[in-house]
Amino acid sequence: MNEMASLILLRDLSRVFSRGGEEIRALDSVSLSIQSGEFVAITGASGSGKSTLMYILGLIDRQTSGSYYLSSTLTDSLSDDERAMLRNQRLGFVFQGFHLLPKANALRNVSMPLTYAGAYGGKISAAEAESRAQSALERVGMGDRLRHLPKELSGGQRQRVAIARALVNNPQVLFADEPTGNLDSKRGQEIMDLFCTLKEAGVTIILVTHDGLLSRQTKRQIVMKDGQVAEDSGGGTNVTR
Amino acid sequence: MSPGELLRLSAESLLAQRFRAVLTMLGMIIGVFAVVVLVSLGQGAKNYILSQFEGLGTNLIIIQPGKTDRKSSFQAPIGSAQKKMTVSDITALEKRALNLEAVSGVILGTASVRYEDALSNINIFGVNEQFPLILNLTLGSGDFFTREEDDFGRRVIVIGQNVRKDLFGEDSPIGRRVKLNESEFRVVGVLGAMGNKLGLDLDNLAFVPTSAALRLFNEDKLFGIRAKASAKVRVDDAVEEIKEILTERRDGADDFTIITQVAMMESMETILNMLSYVLGGIAAISMLVGGVGIMNIMLVSVSERTQEIGIRRAVGARRRDILSQFLVEAVALSLLGGLVGVAAALLVTHGAFFFFSSFDMRPPFWIIGPAFGLSISVGIVFGVWPARKASRIETLEALRYE
Repeated sequence: MNEMASLILLRDLSRVFSRGGEEIRALDSVSLSIQSGEFVAITGASGSGKSTLMYILGLIDRQTSGSYYLSSTLTDSLSDDERAMLRNQRLGFVFQGFHLLPKANALRNVSMPLTYAGAYGGKISAAEAESRAQSALERVGMGDRLRHLPKELSGGQRQRVAIARALVNNPQVLFADEPTGNLDSKRGQEIMDLFCTLKEAGVTIILVTHDGLLSRQTKRQIVMKDGQVAEDSGGGTNVTR
Repeated sequence: MSPGELLRLSAESLLAQRFRAVLTMLGMIIGVFAVVVLVSLGQGAKNYILSQFEGLGTNLIIIQPGKTDRKSSFQAPIGSAQKKMTVSDITALEKRALNLEAVSGVILGTASVRYEDALSNINIFGVNEQFPLILNLTLGSGDFFTREEDDFGRRVIVIGQNVRKDLFGEDSPIGRRVKLNESEFRVVGVLGAMGNKLGLDLDNLAFVPTSAALRLFNEDKLFGIRAKASAKVRVDDAVEEIKEILTERRDGADDFTIITQVAMMESMETILNMLSYVLGGIAAISMLVGGVGIMNIMLVSVSERTQEIGIRRAVGARRRDILSQFLVEAVALSLLGGLVGVAAALLVTHGAFFFFSSFDMRPPFWIIGPAFGLSISVGIVFGVWPARKASRIETLEALRYE
């Protein structure tokens, strides 16, 4: 498989935090690649580095060393604004605690990323943003809750709104951090089913979870341990050097 | 983020915390209200006082016995003169000063005026027949006394409106005799309703000829001299003439002080403008307090909304987007507060004018412009720090902030 065609390609990626003079290697020389359309679960114990990996892949955090290519673009030297643009145009996030704006209704929450698109040359009118937000909400089965505030929605519904927000810009990669962590198993399974549907529609999904039950539903599992890739079921695509 | 979206965002955010927003704005409302009202009050007072001066005639020249170097003083020290000011000074000025339209001595005293059973204690001014010209006095009925009446020492009197009412009620006083202390005076005229001029209640006094006043108060000197220049542009020439004539008559000593209306008005205007600025300055401090209130609330807001900042950054907001979001919110607070403050100030000052039309303290409508600008400035100055703080929060930390 051609490495450079990978959607995500990591080479010797390390992330070192220093806390009180002590160095913590959250990620230690991680190299891997993920292809477009994959549904990947990154698992591992708490402190294994799986969240750090997701934040770096999501261009929210920066690695200390190593290289990260996102669809063949080297992201290492990108400015803050350029990274913000990539997050806005190509990535979508579903956070553990939903992270919805409490005072904004579902529609406003979902259209929010589009209000920043104008800065990157793709100005979207308020009306268009609203209609795109509406179709994203319909896609996750929330078409009948457009004007509800987060507090008026159940946990599962909130997570669907969060997923709709992550999808509204048609991202190349959808990141989900413990997306079922705050849900009971039935609601959790519904969310997983939704991800599977999205995967079928061609969205690349990277799921971070410590829940083995969830991770087994994905085609590929990457197990992190002590900042390194301990196991990768999609071994064929793993970069070895 | 488009300006429209920014405005919508700050409107939503302020509406979400309505009570807090109103309280925060209150600081600005009070500040701007105080600035506009106090400056208006100062300007109103200035215009009022200056118009009082103008009413006395801008050509007025006041000559007091005694020397003072202080140009802006209102009154020279009384009793410090070496040489008395007398009627002969008036005669000399009348004869020799070419730039004077009128000149009169002034003798001041109080006396009881009696007519039948009515009694009134009032101020008596001993002046000559030119005095009405100097102070722009008008007669309601009868005539002012004449030069002949003065020269012959006639005991005649011109009374103010209120004196007439007190003594005569609705009867015509012309030709009646009143008792001033123990002397009989014949009423020859009544002043028109003049009201107050510079603290001088022209309705509650009476004028008698100089010679009669000197006898009445057993005086031989004048309290002072009042003169009127023939034109406003002649005031300076007239002052020079008076100086020359009076100095000559005092063997070279300039033992007197000349105050012109122009100089008085100039110094008054300076003082009153200063008053406005001081009032405005004090009020501006309350505006600063309002600004600090906005900064305080914005800092609270930034810390409360740390997670929101993280979410926005995660989905593509740049640092400057976050900065503008919080800055616009701060400016919206101060601007709204400022506009409400101006509106309240306009309402109050125009309302006050409606009820007390003699004192006009209405600010001009262009005050809205500077108030607008000042409010925006306060919002920017006090909003920029919280906004910068918001924009500098790291996305990852903000997302994990609970």
